[in-house]
Amino acid sequence: MRGFKTLLWLEYRRSRVWAAALLGSLAFWFWGLNQVTVSDFTERAGIRVAIVSVAAAVGLVVLCFMIGRIRGETRRGQYQMLLLTPPSGYVHILARVLFALGTGIVYYVILGGLLWWVAARAGIHPDAGSVLQLLLAGPFYGIGAVVLPFLSWTVLLMVFSSAFRLAGPSWVPGIVMVAGTPFLFRWISDGIVRLSYSLTAWSMFGGFTRLIDRAEMEFETEVVITSQGALIPQEPLWIMLALSILMLEIAGRIWQEVEG
Amino acid sequence: MTQAFLIVLRLMALALLGYFAYRMWLGTRSWTTRAVAFVFTGALAWQFIAGTW
Repeated sequence: MRGFKTLLWLEYRRSRVWAAALLGSLAFWFWGLNQVTVSDFTERAGIRVAIVSVAAAVGLVVLCFMIGRIRGETRRGQYQMLLLTPPSGYVHILARVLFALGTGIVYYVILGGLLWWVAARAGIHPDAGSVLQLLLAGPFYGIGAVVLPFLSWTVLLMVFSSAFRLAGPSWVPGIVMVAGTPFLFRWISDGIVRLSYSLTAWSMFGGFTRLIDRAEMEFETEVVITSQGALIPQEPLWIMLALSILMLEIAGRIWQEVEG
Repeated sequence: MTQAFLIVLRLMALALLGYFAYRMWLGTRSWTTRAVAFVFTGALAWQFIAGTW
């Protein structure tokens, strides 16, 4: 436990500049949202939602870069930190993921708040349940289904390619994993689409469907939208969470086998 | 002509992948690392042989 706390502290020391920059960028996105002065109501809301989407994507990239900086810790092919700290590879992976995840949670919850602000500016004042969904359920669903899998994949990529660093260039496994991932993911996403809506879907953002009614917008989307809100399938979240845990377990095991 | 070119391209890609697989197999003694390498190499090989783009 003490080793884990030390590693978490080390992670904070190593990545605090990245985390501060990411959280500080929220001020920039807020400023950007304020600059949208298009007179058309739907266009204005659309541009603002697009800006928040870009902010979410940028946040994901920054978090992946933050968590993937493993090679910077090596010295003469050895993990300098590992030689000094006895905890297992799993603890190292866990500390790294938890710090990035914590930063991501703060970032995406605030982004959810910005979306609430966008809705309020558009004259949409949903009930407390919808606001909570926007601030908590939405971000946590996105983190579980998208952000955590990306972070886990990045950790696995770095650990996997670093495992070859003593034998030769690590770009060979890096290229194979990066090139092979889209094909593997296509099979996974086919499976997710096939399984989606097998379990009871979650009805979310009911208060926001008024925005759609008011603007008479028509969406082409995979998600079913009813008068009760968007019906969000559970399956993508559970499948991607399971995949994330699997990738982290494999990364920890590789770390143990290579460095242990 | 185009078909033949694509076949040659696939064979060359497979040969490169085979070389990568060989490097990765010998590059580590960790069986988990080898298994991960096998999964991603297998996915790419499947695409080169029978995959649709």
